[in-house]
Formats: sequence, C-alpha cells, structure tokens
Amino acid sequence: MAVHYVLKEEDIPEGGFSLVQVDGREIGIYHVNGEYHAIHNYCPHQGAPMCAGLVSGTTLPSEVYSYEYGKAGQIIRCPWHGWEFDLKTGKALFNEKIRVRKYTVEIEDGKIGILITKSITGSGAIRDSIL
Amino acid sequence: MKGYKIIDADVHNEQEDAALLPYLKEPWRSRVAASGIGYAGSGYYSPIGVMKKDSIPPGGGRAGSNPDFMIKQLIDGYDLDYAILTGVVYNISTTHDPDYAAAICSAYNDFLIAEWFGKHKAFKGAMVVATQDPLLAAREIDRVGGHPDIVEVMISSAARAPLGQRYYHPIYEAAERNGLPIAVHPGAEGGGGSTAPTSAGYPSRYIEWHTCLSQMFMAHLVSLVCEGVFVKFPNLKFVMVEGGVAWLPGLMWRLDKNYKALRSTVPWLTKLPSQYIRDHCYLTTQPIEEPDNPQHLIDLFNMIDAENMLLYSSDYPHWDFDSPDHILRKLSPEARRKIFRDNALQLYKLT
Ligand code: FES
Repeated sequence: MAVHYVLKEEDIPEGGFSLVQVDGREIGIYHVNGEYHAIHNYCPHQGAPMCAGLVSGTTLPSEVYSYEYGKAGQIIRCPWHGWEFDLKTGKALFNEKIRVRKYTVEIEDGKIGILITKSITGSGAIRDSIL
Repeated sequence: MKGYKIIDADVHNEQEDAALLPYLKEPWRSRVAASGIGYAGSGYYSPIGVMKKDSIPPGGGRAGSNPDFMIKQLIDGYDLDYAILTGVVYNISTTHDPDYAAAICSAYNDFLIAEWFGKHKAFKGAMVVATQDPLLAAREIDRVGGHPDIVEVMISSAARAPLGQRYYHPIYEAAERNGLPIAVHPGAEGGGGSTAPTSAGYPSRYIEWHTCLSQMFMAHLVSLVCEGVFVKFPNLKFVMVEGGVAWLPGLMWRLDKNYKALRSTVPWLTKLPSQYIRDHCYLTTQPIEEPDNPQHLIDLFNMIDAENMLLYSSDYPHWDFDSPDHILRKLSPEARRKIFRDNALQLYKLT
C-alpha cells in the first residue's frame, strides 16, 4: 500500500487527462468536473489501451424515442469496440459488474497521488476476457 | 500463442482515393482526381466510427494506410505469419456504372501489388472485383489472379441478387480456373444499387444494420448451395468474411431438413446441403459472438465441427477488431491451431 505522487494538479487542466506509469502499470488520470479519476489503461473486454478512447457525455436511459444527454465529460468509450465506462465509478454502462479498474487518487499540497494497494503481480486478476 | 504463428484472414489496408490515380486510366483518372471515388455506402451512423482509435499512424493519415505502422502494430504486435489484406474497395459494387466500378478495382489491384506486397513477407492479399459486370470481373481475375501474393478474390456481400445465381457464375468460373477462393465481405449493405440490408427492409440504426448482416450471409450461402455453384465448380472455395458464425448450425439443420422434402427442386445436389457447406466454405471468426457463458459458443462449434471451417480474423484496424489473445480461449489447443493457422495455411496454399 503506497501513494505514488506522479503529477501536479496544474499538469491536468479541467477536461484533460494524462497517462502515467506507476509501479509497472499504465494509468490514465482524468480531470472531470473538478475531480480526478484514475483508471487502468486496459479494457476488461479484450485489453485495448482504454485511454486512447474518447471522453464525452452520452445518452442516459430514457423513454422510447426521447434522448437525454448527460454525464458530459464523464464517459470514456473504449477505442476498440466502443464499450462505455463511467469514469466516476469505473462501471460499464451496459452492466455494472463489468468495470475498468479504478485507482484511488489522493491530492496533497497540489500533487496528484495514486494509491496502489497491491503489487503488480495482483493485477493479472483483472485480465478477464469474455472468451 | 504456443509454437506457431497466426494467420489473420481479414486485414483492412486503406488508402486515400488519390493514391489510386497513378493506376487509373482516363476517363476515370480525371473523374477520381476531381470528385474522389464516391462509394455508395450504407448510410448508417455509428458513434464509434469505423476505425479503432489507436490505429491512426503516428505521422497521420488513415488507419491502415501506412504499411510500416501496420507491421509494427499488427504483424509484429501479434506475431502474425501472414495478414490477408482485404482493402475496402469491394464496396464499389453498390455503385451504378459497371465500367467505372471495374476500373476502380483494376487500379486498386495494381496499387496493392505495387505498394503493399513488397513491404513485408507477411502481406498476402485479396484482389477485388466488382459484381456489376461478372464478365469484366472474370477478365480481371485472369489479368492479375496469377500473381503469387494474390490468394483470393474479394467480392461484396452487398449485391443486387443472391450470390449463387447464374448471373455471377463467370466470376466463379474464373476464380476456379485461377485456383483462387472467393471471399465475400459486408460493408455497403443497403447503399446504392444493392438490396435492402435486412430481409425486412431498412432498419433505423447501425446497431440493427450490423446485427442483421448475418442475414445477408445466410441468404447468400443458401443461394450458393441451392444454385449448384459447388456442383458446377467443384474446386471452388468460399470464404464468408465478417458475417458471424453462430447462425450456421441452425441454417444447416433447416436447409438439410428442407432438402429431404424438396430435393426434386435442386436435383443437382447429391449430398446434404450442409455437406457442400462443410466441403467448400470457410467463415472468418470476427466479430465473434460473445455469449455470457463462453462454453456455449464452443458447444455450438462442436455441433458442426466448426474448427475445420473457421479462419481467425482480426478486422484490423476496424472498430470491432478481435485480438487473437482474447477470443476463443476455451477451445482445445488443436482446434485453436486449426482456426488460427492451419486452415488458412491450407486454403491459401501458404507455407
Ligand atoms: S477491448 Fe474495450 S470494448 Fe473491446
């Protein structure tokens, strides 16, 4: 269990992101609506580099033929097959059980830290695949 | 991958329209220079786009347009032995002028030979022909089909009529004569002069269009068998690219059942229809169906000995790319080896 301070707050403007290496893994840090969210650069579907995906809002569940756009700046779409994940929760929009791995972000003295709870050997567990 | 290298049966090299100009004759050259190629696409919108977002070459340009980047990301990245370059030009078959469509195909074939094959020994390719004029298509197959790096003839599954019908037979005759399989690829379904993209007509959205592409393949496959294409051309093989796999067992069962009653309407068929499919057809894996329980797909494969009919394909660099490391992991090592290598090696006569 260790906090790795990797960037300063001003390194990531609102709406921006940065890809960092921490403890042998690639982590994307996103600055969304004043909060920082850190996710593993690895899609739980087929392992795409998640952080190459675009961030946007999306259509929320709604009545038939009505469209409600929301979660602006909070949804990352996998660059390969387009699965949408909520940066705040890491959960896939089509199924809450499917998640991109999230890391806890700690801010101290204007520095952005990533909390790593397990060593890299533990990260193999998220390499689930569908088939 | 243990002990062998993979063959990828569907890799989309792309180019700017202008890249074909040096290979086009007039009047087509001036037309493309002024107006671009002008494909008649399906018109369906996807928020994901067609390209996977990490496949744009670092120097810019279209995904799939830079051989060096493709070598780095795909060939070396996944340790491929061969990549069958399938292009996108088959989509020209939904446009309206047969002579123009044929000219675009010829230009692309010459471009493929001149600008891709020499770049890496893994590159093999599908030559493309347009289906608007099967006689022109046959002539093109005779023109370039003998090139050692051409391993199949690609046509579009978006068509004006089911692909088994006699109108198309000159294409098949030429392919057989040149020892090349025919590959069929979707993409422009519903566009230009092609039929509606589903049996029920035009759906509203890409999600419906894409799901129903399998229908197109079902209809073409039934037509190919019943029209006697594999009786007339006994050495011809067909590769159904990107049309899905899971529908095949049900189709075989239904067609065989109907054959038992209706054989007299197709008296040239002397075996069960499913046998012609097994003997003559291959299906590429991508986009592989993904049931919640992966074993269900394997069970389905076992029902039809799918391991002898499937060719691994990634569809690189398109959005529905299947990584070889992440699909079909529950298959036996022997079945995997057939699908990821041996079937393609045999079909394409590679060594
Ligand atoms: S790898 Fe991310 S959606 Fe498939």
